[in-house]
Amino acid sequence: MTIPNEATFPVASPGSSVRPPASGVPRLLPRTPDGKPGRVPQDLAAHQGTHGSLPYRGGAGRLIGELQAAGLTGRGGAAFPAHRKLQAVFDAARVTGRQPVVVANGAESEPASDKDATLLWLAPHLVLDGLQLAAEAVGAGRAVLYARAASQGRRQGPLDSLNEALARRRDARLDRVPVRVVQAPPRFLAGQETALISHLDGGPAIPAFIPPRPAERGLGNAPTLISNVETLAHMALVARHGPDWFRAIGTRPEPGSMLCTVRRGDGAPRIIEVAIGAPLSVLLARSSSPVLIGGYHGTWVPASLATPLTLDNASLARAGARVGSGIVITLPPDRCGLIETAQVVRYLALESAGQCGPCLNGLPRIAAAMAQIASGRPRRGVRADVERWAGLVTGRGACHHPDGTARLVRSALTVFADEADLHERGRCSASRHAAPFLPVPQATARIEADWR
Amino acid sequence: MNAASSSTWMWYASRATGVVALLLLTAVALLGLMVSRQARLADLPRFAVTGLHRNLSLLAVAFLLLHVLTAVADGYVTIALDSAVIPFTSRYERLWLGIGAVGLDLFLAVIITSLLRGHLGRRAWYAVHLLSYASWPIAFAHSVGSSGDMQSGWMLLLAVACAAALAAGITWRVRAAARDLPRAQRVHALMAELHARKPRAGAQ
Ligand code: HEM
Ligand SMILES: Cc1cc2nc3c(=O)[nH]c(=O)nc-3n(C[C@H](O)[C@H](O)[C@H](O)COP(=O)(O)O)c2cc1C
Ligand code: SF4
Repeated sequence: MTIPNEATFPVASPGSSVRPPASGVPRLLPRTPDGKPGRVPQDLAAHQGTHGSLPYRGGAGRLIGELQAAGLTGRGGAAFPAHRKLQAVFDAARVTGRQPVVVANGAESEPASDKDATLLWLAPHLVLDGLQLAAEAVGAGRAVLYARAASQGRRQGPLDSLNEALARRRDARLDRVPVRVVQAPPRFLAGQETALISHLDGGPAIPAFIPPRPAERGLGNAPTLISNVETLAHMALVARHGPDWFRAIGTRPEPGSMLCTVRRGDGAPRIIEVAIGAPLSVLLARSSSPVLIGGYHGTWVPASLATPLTLDNASLARAGARVGSGIVITLPPDRCGLIETAQVVRYLALESAGQCGPCLNGLPRIAAAMAQIASGRPRRGVRADVERWAGLVTGRGACHHPDGTARLVRSALTVFADEADLHERGRCSASRHAAPFLPVPQATARIEADWR
Repeated sequence: MNAASSSTWMWYASRATGVVALLLLTAVALLGLMVSRQARLADLPRFAVTGLHRNLSLLAVAFLLLHVLTAVADGYVTIALDSAVIPFTSRYERLWLGIGAVGLDLFLAVIITSLLRGHLGRRAWYAVHLLSYASWPIAFAHSVGSSGDMQSGWMLLLAVACAAALAAGITWRVRAAARDLPRAQRVHALMAELHARKPRAGAQ
């Protein structure tokens, strides 16, 4: 752990006398006095007591180099280097002369995920600090916080609590650019960058064709930075404690910690902050059941392959998987992976925006075939059909929805191949066929208004 | 114009490539209509229809260029090269060649924007692409107007058949668009159709 020196951080503001915390986890989520993960939302006073005040850099562009040194990558799924995104927006602003906008993406449209809602609930001010710092770094004039509506088990929806947090910050005159809170519609694609732009511009939350890239022409045609809320929270820590502190944990190409949504049985998921590169086994149930890594656009991996891996893209690539947005789900031994996958694929097909031919025509076909495989006694050759269709839809949409769906389906057919053989003989190894284990929203879009 | 009295092969080559270009452009436009409605041709997958539309359009442009270059190179009448692209500057057949130049420019705009499609926004590309609707009738007028042969006999029949096919294609496209379900209902409709066909499908 290195203590940042004055030379690197000239804008030491009053109150930043707080010493850098130990570099281990949890970093983002609050800790109890004995260092354990806390469960109580951090109000502004508690936040400032823990993290100190907001270290504005005093000018555009200055934070970008520090983010590059820290090696922060996006936590929204793609793991794209954060500094390159900020730089692209900064440059586009220079070229076009338009003032940029910054959007904190907390849509968390993936039903299996709960890490962004948890972060916004427990540590809203860390995200809001990051949003202000990112806005300063690219020279933005306004910011948007895009969040999903209330999730179960929390007394107050995130939108209410976020508006309250913003009001406290206004009282304290913390924020330099105004922040608007916007609710994301409950659509799977709502968090995809161009769908987000379309929604914030008053349209339906459906992906658009690129170019133009949001970094060049996004919200109201302004250069737009879209960052996951967790990425922004990490920025707030890098700005306070410096790149070396940030790199003290994690791997060389993927430094730092990340929030994971872990499901190992029925009930609410656990949100665990781990160092990137930690053994995957700490997130798995002690069973020999397959693991779904990366959520509904992710990959099924057999337990034997998953257990020795670590939680970073270099390691997961060996099993054809990616960290994504940190969803790790162990299938309970009494469930059928084919039934679970078929239900998810049906949901994914119904969430297609229906505007690209291969996606509109391909996903429902794949979903119907998966339902047949799951329900037992499938027609001969269905598996080969699904494989072929999965190949035909991949890379042929305006967004990655068909690609992700195809990835999930293919990995399921590989990992659950024995189970599919059983189904062909009219049997199923699962002992429970009750409610689905993987969360699948029942409400799907039927009219245009459902996309707004 | 009495081309039949010409003895130069280039004059014939120019007229032959012109006729082939018109046929190809008709086919390209028909395929474009199909691509825009995501229709299938025989058993070809949809992306093959797109590929055919794209590749035939490149072939059509090759023929168009041959058509223009042979007409310019032929010494029987004098046509300046720049008047092939700058409308109404030709001293020979000013009206009909001028119309042909307009058509050529429009086709080039459509082709060039399509080749640069990755660098353009979809909207800009599509706006230029719709110029093909203007370019075809212009090419047709140029063909029939400047050619003595296309004004009678089987050549006239061919030209009329092309125009009729395209008119039918456009009518079909407009009707198909009107029948279109609203975007938000398309997937549901397809899912319902698939489930009706295979009653066993359905996870629960
Ligand atoms: C001069 C040559 C071309 C002509 C005359 C032509 C003509 C057309 C026409 C009439 C349409 C139907 C437009 C509509 O009503 O929606 C169309 C659509 C289309 N064309 Fe072309 N085209 C040409 C070249 C190309 C090339 C080179 C490409 C390669 C990218 C291309 C790609 C497409 C696509 C993808 C569509 C479907 C547009 C949609 O999404 O609705 N075209 N074309
Ligand atoms: C279908 C789809 C859904 C997505 N949903 C989300 C989401 O809910 N939240 C999110 O932060 N990013 C989501 N993303 C990724 C965003 O497009 C974008 O890359 C991300 O917000 C950028 O932030 P980051 O660079 O900080 O990761 C989604 C992407 C796709 C293709
Ligand atoms: S690929 Fe599918 S989900 Fe993505 S924009 Fe096209 S139709 Fe919509």
